[in-house]
Amino acid sequence: MIPYAAAIRIRNEQSRGTQRWIIPFWLAGLLLLPVAVLLLPLTIVVCAVARINPFPILHAFWQIFVALKGTVVEVDDPHYSVSVEVS
Amino acid sequence: MNENRRQILEMLAAGKITADEAERLISAVEKEPASSASEANGSEPRPKTKAKYIRVVVDDNGKGTGATKANIRVPMQLLRSGVKLAALIPKAAQAHVNDALHEHGVMLDLSQIKPENLEELVDQLDELTVDVDDKDVKVRVFCE
Repeated sequence: MIPYAAAIRIRNEQSRGTQRWIIPFWLAGLLLLPVAVLLLPLTIVVCAVARINPFPILHAFWQIFVALKGTVVEVDDPHYSVSVEVS
Repeated sequence: MNENRRQILEMLAAGKITADEAERLISAVEKEPASSASEANGSEPRPKTKAKYIRVVVDDNGKGTGATKANIRVPMQLLRSGVKLAALIPKAAQAHVNDALHEHGVMLDLSQIKPENLEELVDQLDELTVDVDDKDVKVRVFCE
């Protein structure tokens, strides 16, 4: 199961303001697609020069992305409170 | 009162062991019959559930010292994927990493680490529990 969204919450304890973002990964992927297309030729050249097979690396990164599902990071400071949840 | 418990209390009374040691021994003795009872009944021991997450909890010891608190939950699968990525480090880079580690006193040879060893290492983390009690913060690392 691939993760579908990341929920980020930042709370300022002094102003009592809370900022929330829910980032769907499909949307992030769609926005980053032009950057990936631009970087693709450069990546191919670098891999060819350095004689690196990019597929095991891409596979490892994909596995890391898939494994992110269920990750929770909550940090509470007297001034700020930050929470990141990948679901 | 069973014989083992009596012996432990006698040792405590004789001053051969401390109260803490006695408590540990009694809890060990109490655990033993529970596990042997299931074997005696012929019932299969329950399969151990594999931990899915590693948790890091940092708390302020309940004193309200204003220390930073953290609650982190990382899937074990993420650790497995991470170590697989580490196994992809090219041989040429491994020498540099080894040198840097040696400079910092870490006598680790990356060329000796195989993906299957790392996999085994992550599997063994199921049993991991780290408790650190400082005067300001309390840190717990465990798997669930």
